[in-house]
Amino acid sequence: MIRTSSLRNGSFIERSLLAAVSFIKEATLFEEYASRQGFMQGLAPGIKILTIFLLILTAVILKDLALIGLLYGLCLALALFSEIPITFFLLRTLIFIPLFSLFIAIPAIFSSVSPGQVLRQIHIFGITGMITSQGCQSAALLVARITTTVSLAVLVSLTTKHAELLKSLRHFGVPQIFVMTVSMCYRYLYLFAVMVENICGAIKSRVGIVIPHKRGQKFVAWNIANIWSRTNQMSEEVYRAMLSRGYTGEPRSLQRIKKNE
Amino acid sequence: MNNNIFELNNVHLSYLGRHPALCGVDMTIGSGEKIAIIGANGTGKSTLLHLLDGLVFPHQGQVKAFGQVLNEEFLRDEENSRAFRRKVGLVLQNADIQLFCPTVREDIAFGPLHLGFEQDEVQQRLKRASASLGVEHLLDRVPYQLSVGEKRKVAIASVLAIEPEVIILDEPTAGLDPATIRQVIDLILEANQRGKTIIMATHDLHLVEAVADKVYVFSQEKKIVRSGAMEEILYDMTFLQEHNLIHAHNHQHHHQVHSHPHQHFGHRHE
Ligand SMILES: Nc1ncnc2c1ncn2[C@@H]1O[C@H](COP(=O)(O)OP(=O)(O)O)[C@@H](O)[C@H]1O
Ligand SMILES: [Mg+2]
Repeated sequence: MIRTSSLRNGSFIERSLLAAVSFIKEATLFEEYASRQGFMQGLAPGIKILTIFLLILTAVILKDLALIGLLYGLCLALALFSEIPITFFLLRTLIFIPLFSLFIAIPAIFSSVSPGQVLRQIHIFGITGMITSQGCQSAALLVARITTTVSLAVLVSLTTKHAELLKSLRHFGVPQIFVMTVSMCYRYLYLFAVMVENICGAIKSRVGIVIPHKRGQKFVAWNIANIWSRTNQMSEEVYRAMLSRGYTGEPRSLQRIKKNE
Repeated sequence: MNNNIFELNNVHLSYLGRHPALCGVDMTIGSGEKIAIIGANGTGKSTLLHLLDGLVFPHQGQVKAFGQVLNEEFLRDEENSRAFRRKVGLVLQNADIQLFCPTVREDIAFGPLHLGFEQDEVQQRLKRASASLGVEHLLDRVPYQLSVGEKRKVAIASVLAIEPEVIILDEPTAGLDPATIRQVIDLILEANQRGKTIIMATHDLHLVEAVADKVYVFSQEKKIVRSGAMEEILYDMTFLQEHNLIHAHNHQHHHQVHSHPHQHFGHRHE
């Protein structure tokens, strides 16, 4: 797997492009933990998803901060028993938390959203906001909930192979067309990442090591357009490939999926 | 009724009305034949194969398949299209396009499933096709993460599972190692012995020699410049050179430079 650190030389644009690419590749390809012999990996995917789903539901319903904390502890313990390094796990989940929190938790602390006892007044651009203790409490609760549910979701996705995950979605009555679309998006994302990487490689080998900053911007813009049209053409070709093997717009799936014969 | 599978009559086709891809192609393919379409890059080979598989249609001229005119209208009928797709299978040039399912198992089963075979039959076909290519151990893998050779084998298996009468292959040996090429050749020959018609596009003259009995040569004008028996065309070095299928190439053997056509045709050691 290509790591960003190995791309130290090269322009800023190139570096951030490749960093994004390697993140996509890693996110779509990373199945190392899914094939380890841990606790979660040993569970049947259907049972695992159902259990995690119930735990997520519990986290959403619970109103007590301490109980949610307990649930979070349970999640970390499960990660530990599944041989996932705890720092890696925390990093993976904590990336998402600020994003979610910013949009949901911050507005909640103000009196207009959560009326109650005023703790402090703040003035931003002439607007006076009052922070309430109820607001703070519900914000804390929200952050705790988000952290716990995201962690649980990341736990399943890390310990289950993607193909299995998609297959079990089908068992829960998620329409096949939806699952198929998701898995195809997933595949495009991967091909897209590989394509960007190859184009960068090709340019680099022709132009030299560094793409000048100014030209770099142009090159990125041109290539994004190019990649778009390529991806578009590819989806047309894939559709033809499906037609060739009898697809008529009505997906069917294999029953009795036998494993490890 | 004759037993011609495909009859092409003055077929013209261009992409987006601007990029010509076939300019006046006439062709007759009989049942059980082994046809090779050869020609340099961009001479319309892939387009022709897509045309034979009913994926693109001529703008001028006519294609007949199994005695019936093959056009959009004919294939719009579900019965017709199912019958046609059960009889004709196409292995695409790009295996990444051909394989679009989350697992190899589903990809191989895709054809039989969508062509209306019962689940039991689908499982049987899945088993037979994956065994004949030796890809049973890959069934639970994700197709796009396989090696080039593995992808190609799975792509071929996904078409063999349909058990079509006509197998169309687009550059089936490109990028494969010699052992895998041999495996593909044996598979094609064996399918032909069971009565299957083989149509393939390739630049691999060794493959042509090993498999084909009839050869069509396409030129940059995007039409057939010559057709005939395999031996007749393959041993005409000047002709092949003219059409970019081999090139003269200087070699140094024991400090002695001499020149001979490349692809080392007819010098194969086995
Ligand atoms: N999707 C497409 N859009 C436009 N032009 C195309 C497309 N596909 C192929 N062509 C053009 O059609 C011609 C024949 O292409 P193709 O059938 O792929 O040739 P070959 O398989 O012999 O390399 C080429 O000139 C190519 O540029
Ligand atoms: Mg081609």
